[in-house]
Amino acid sequence: MEIVLHNRPGEKQRLVGALEAFTAEHGLPAKVHQAAELALEEHVTNVVNYAYTDNAPHEIRVRLSCDACALYVEVEDDGKAFNPLTAPQVDTSVPLERRPVGGLGIHLMRQFMDTLEYRREGGRNILRLTKHLAA
Amino acid sequence: MEIRKNVTGDTHELSVAGRVDGEGANQLELEILNSIRAKAQAIYVNLSQATFLCSAGLRALLQYWRQMKNNKRVLLVTRPSPEVEAVLAATGFKEQMVEKI
Repeated sequence: MEIVLHNRPGEKQRLVGALEAFTAEHGLPAKVHQAAELALEEHVTNVVNYAYTDNAPHEIRVRLSCDACALYVEVEDDGKAFNPLTAPQVDTSVPLERRPVGGLGIHLMRQFMDTLEYRREGGRNILRLTKHLAA
Repeated sequence: MEIRKNVTGDTHELSVAGRVDGEGANQLELEILNSIRAKAQAIYVNLSQATFLCSAGLRALLQYWRQMKNNKRVLLVTRPSPEVEAVLAATGFKEQMVEKI
């Protein structure tokens, strides 16, 4: 399944609905759905908020697929080059009084998805996330 | 997402139902601010009916947890749903931000 979003408010709801339909159709476990939902919320939000330096409309393509082993999510955008895997790790042992505010989105992607892979191709960022079906 | 407010004296309980996504986080922030302006001494954010919590929600909670603490007041999350508890645990928020029963 491929969903094409645009960088404007309200688009994420379409993605939520599409993911729900996809996981229901394929009988994927609730934990897998929840992990993918969270990772997509975080990554698509980052793309919409930070990837573009103009006010032009842009497409963000989200591809969902699965097999007997895993759910695969691929997000492709034409924003400026950015590899989220290079973001520094979040130290969750730092007390909340001193905790930096940023970085939690990518941290949650790392925590809830099993693998994250990034590549830059033809001027596009492509992030592939995998969630294994078995616990 | 819906937020129901229950006020007892200077204690405000905000019961959140639904998804605390980016828009939900903005809504939650507004309600917390309303409670702060109303001079609440304690704000309890009941997330038992919240089905989703993202980093935007965490940032809002952190910002006002700190503000309330700095003013010797309290903001705590109560009864997080399993989905929300997993996010709070994964980010190290659970120990300090969730009310201990």
